[in-house]
Amino acid sequence: MSGQLLRIEGLTRRFGGNVAISEVSFEVRSGEIVGLIGPNGAGKTTLFNCMTGYLAPSAGDILFDSRRINGLRPDQVCRLGMARTWQRVKPLDRLSVLENAMIGAFLTTKSPKEAGKAALEQLHAVGLEAYTDRSAGILPIGLKKKLELARVMATRPRMVLLDEICGGLNSSETGAILDIVRSLRKQGVTILFIEHDMYAVTSICDRIVVLNSGEKLTEGTPEEITSHPGVIAAYLGGGYHARD
Amino acid sequence: MLFVQSLVSGLLTGGIYALAGMGMSMIFGVMNVSNFAHGDLMMLGMYMAYFAFTLLHVDPYLSLVLILPVAFLFGFVLEKIFINRVILHPHQNQILLTIGLGLIMSNSALLAFTSDPKILTTAYSSSSITIFNDVFVSVPLLRSFLVTCLITALLYLFLSRTRTGMALRATSQNREAAQLMGIDVSKMSAITFGIGTALSASAGALIAPTYYIYPMAGHSFLLKAFTVCVLGGLGSIPGATLGGLIIGIVEALSSTYLSTDWKDVVVFTLFLAVLLLRPQGLFGDKGGA
Amino acid sequence: MKSALLAAALLLSALFLPKLTGHDPYLVGVMIEVLRMAALASAWNIIGGYAGQYSFGHAAYFGAGAYATSIILTAYPATDPLLALVAGIAVSCLIALVTGSIVFRLRGHYFALASIAVAEIVRLSVLNLEFTGGAQGLLLSDLSFHGLDLNSKTPFYFGMLMLLALTMGVTALLSRARMGYYLQAIREDEDAASSLGIDIARCKNSALVVSAALTSVAGSLYALYIRFIDTTAVLDLRLSIEIILTAIIGGVGTIWGPLLGAILLVPLAEMLRSNFFGQTLVSLGVVSPDSPAGRFFADGLAHAHVLVYGVITVLCILFMPTGLLGLFRRER
Repeated sequence: MSGQLLRIEGLTRRFGGNVAISEVSFEVRSGEIVGLIGPNGAGKTTLFNCMTGYLAPSAGDILFDSRRINGLRPDQVCRLGMARTWQRVKPLDRLSVLENAMIGAFLTTKSPKEAGKAALEQLHAVGLEAYTDRSAGILPIGLKKKLELARVMATRPRMVLLDEICGGLNSSETGAILDIVRSLRKQGVTILFIEHDMYAVTSICDRIVVLNSGEKLTEGTPEEITSHPGVIAAYLGGGYHARD
Repeated sequence: MLFVQSLVSGLLTGGIYALAGMGMSMIFGVMNVSNFAHGDLMMLGMYMAYFAFTLLHVDPYLSLVLILPVAFLFGFVLEKIFINRVILHPHQNQILLTIGLGLIMSNSALLAFTSDPKILTTAYSSSSITIFNDVFVSVPLLRSFLVTCLITALLYLFLSRTRTGMALRATSQNREAAQLMGIDVSKMSAITFGIGTALSASAGALIAPTYYIYPMAGHSFLLKAFTVCVLGGLGSIPGATLGGLIIGIVEALSSTYLSTDWKDVVVFTLFLAVLLLRPQGLFGDKGGA
Repeated sequence: MKSALLAAALLLSALFLPKLTGHDPYLVGVMIEVLRMAALASAWNIIGGYAGQYSFGHAAYFGAGAYATSIILTAYPATDPLLALVAGIAVSCLIALVTGSIVFRLRGHYFALASIAVAEIVRLSVLNLEFTGGAQGLLLSDLSFHGLDLNSKTPFYFGMLMLLALTMGVTALLSRARMGYYLQAIREDEDAASSLGIDIARCKNSALVVSAALTSVAGSLYALYIRFIDTTAVLDLRLSIEIILTAIIGGVGTIWGPLLGAILLVPLAEMLRSNFFGQTLVSLGVVSPDSPAGRFFADGLAHAHVLVYGVITVLCILFMPTGLLGLFRRER
């Protein structure tokens, strides 16, 4: 099913005089993995925060499954099926790894027993089953990221927004996370993926949207984007010419 | 004329609330700490003024010259020994620590000075001047107000013209960034707490000629000082100044038109209303939803 | 299930304590006080320890229960005390909902401050109104409750014991249910919690209402026990602080912490008040009653239990912020 799941129309967000994102529009179709890239300060996380109810848009619309979700609270957005991870991981420190995942699973069931089972499933899927009793706060960053993923998947979302899920990871950890993300798509989850790691982005995204200084620069397939002169200029500065 | 009378008395008392609120707001801004010992620091200032007057025969307003540095030092040391340890802890621990310190202060005062209220009567304690033909202005309150203006002006100059003052403002805006700029933020915290203590102690000293002085006297000022801060905007000195004046006036008007028994209820209800309608206060950018 | 068995065993043995002391009114009185503080700290723990929302004005709910009960029984002495108790719960829940609706959308320091403001508004209103007895307080005359002799302390011992068992039971059930997990998630990280579908305001409000209701019952029981209440006894900020201190000394966010805290603090306060330390030293011959040290113990320290509370609070926060139970738990 390739219907349109998410549509952003003319999204704008101002902070006083500073325009963080301006007239950004794009769509994500069901089952896609779409990447959102851009230099630092391009407005990517602001976009996520507007989409998930942490910031109110100054203008524009966010339509999830044809439903306008502007102004909904974050928990309401999650319950509609759009869940997110955090750029700076937010484990629930003093709770165990299992309990963290259970919090996500509780969206689907009231019973702690059922939630425990569902959580364990997700922890298996990311390879954290050996850590169920550890406190989430003391895990190394790579495992915290995996936990974040397991926890959000326990909510059984239709779409996940991944905010730099590969940030701070070495290449083998990145590879592991990307494998998990690929398996998510097999389960029918749609993915929107902020990332700086170009290898990660180009290897798994179907399409890429590029932001620069709050505006949408362009969008296209990984091949189109990596050869787009405007994109290269945005990252490397104007006047850059690839040496042959 | 009753209205103008209330307005004037409220304005003058408001000056003292502003002074108390300024210290608290600074501590919020630079350290992000709720200082629940604030009222007890005011109480210490009251006692300092009392003893300076009865033992050294120094007029309360002059004794400020002594009280300000002593209180600053006290606050500075208090921060270094106690508060600094919980700066990165959850705010409820900070609150409990300052409550504990406050309990120690007020109950030590209770043991040392007993609960008998002391009264500081100066030659001019009950004198007043008359303006607009039938509005009485209490002289001690007027003097307190003028001294408050002086202290506020000095504080403003300190914050805007000196290097330390600017460092304090930087730390208040963004602690991490200030650290990256080479500012010793823990020294800034100690200085801020020292200044905050000095400001509350001086508020206490200024109100001493017109109030009963007893160990628990600070408690009624605590929540009022918080109201002033929240109304003005946590961390904003101009906000605390304006907030103090507003609270003073609201209190005076409630006293006159409702009754003195209910004036505190009005102030605290105003506090809740601010939280409900405009949690960031008049000038605040910190805090709120 | 081990802890449930332990709890049942403790409860059973607690039933025999009054008999063990020969129904000594002084000792039973101290035990009632331990149970009262334990129940209050336990009820507070639901919103403070589990949800992480420290209410600094919980005396408002205690006082609401005490005053609602006393007002109804002084106006209509034939009323069944249970009805008066329910009235207290209703008032407390109302206060809780009003407080929560104002402040639970805000972050950080605000709930702490607002809770004090609400408590002070309640205290001052009760102080200034007439039907609440104003500054003179309210006196309850002879009470009867289903044939129980309410002049003796023993029924109140069992009443408080039941309330404590109820409160700890509610805490235990909550901690194992979805709501308990949600509250802890809110405590750890509100943004993360809401991103996982948790309705933060609703959960906080539910926790506060439950906590307020239980606190109110303690207040009603206390009013029936003491027979005389005034704002200093049941609505003072000091009571709110003592409740929190009791919970944190034992360990916030744990089921047994509040009880542990009460077992430690109440006898300590009693020993200070009755000059136990001074008299022990005198009887040991170490200190003479007329010496400065002797007089310090008798006149000074005996009135200094609040000062000691202050010192304990500071020491606890600096060196033992997770309480005694926290010392025994390690990060796994």
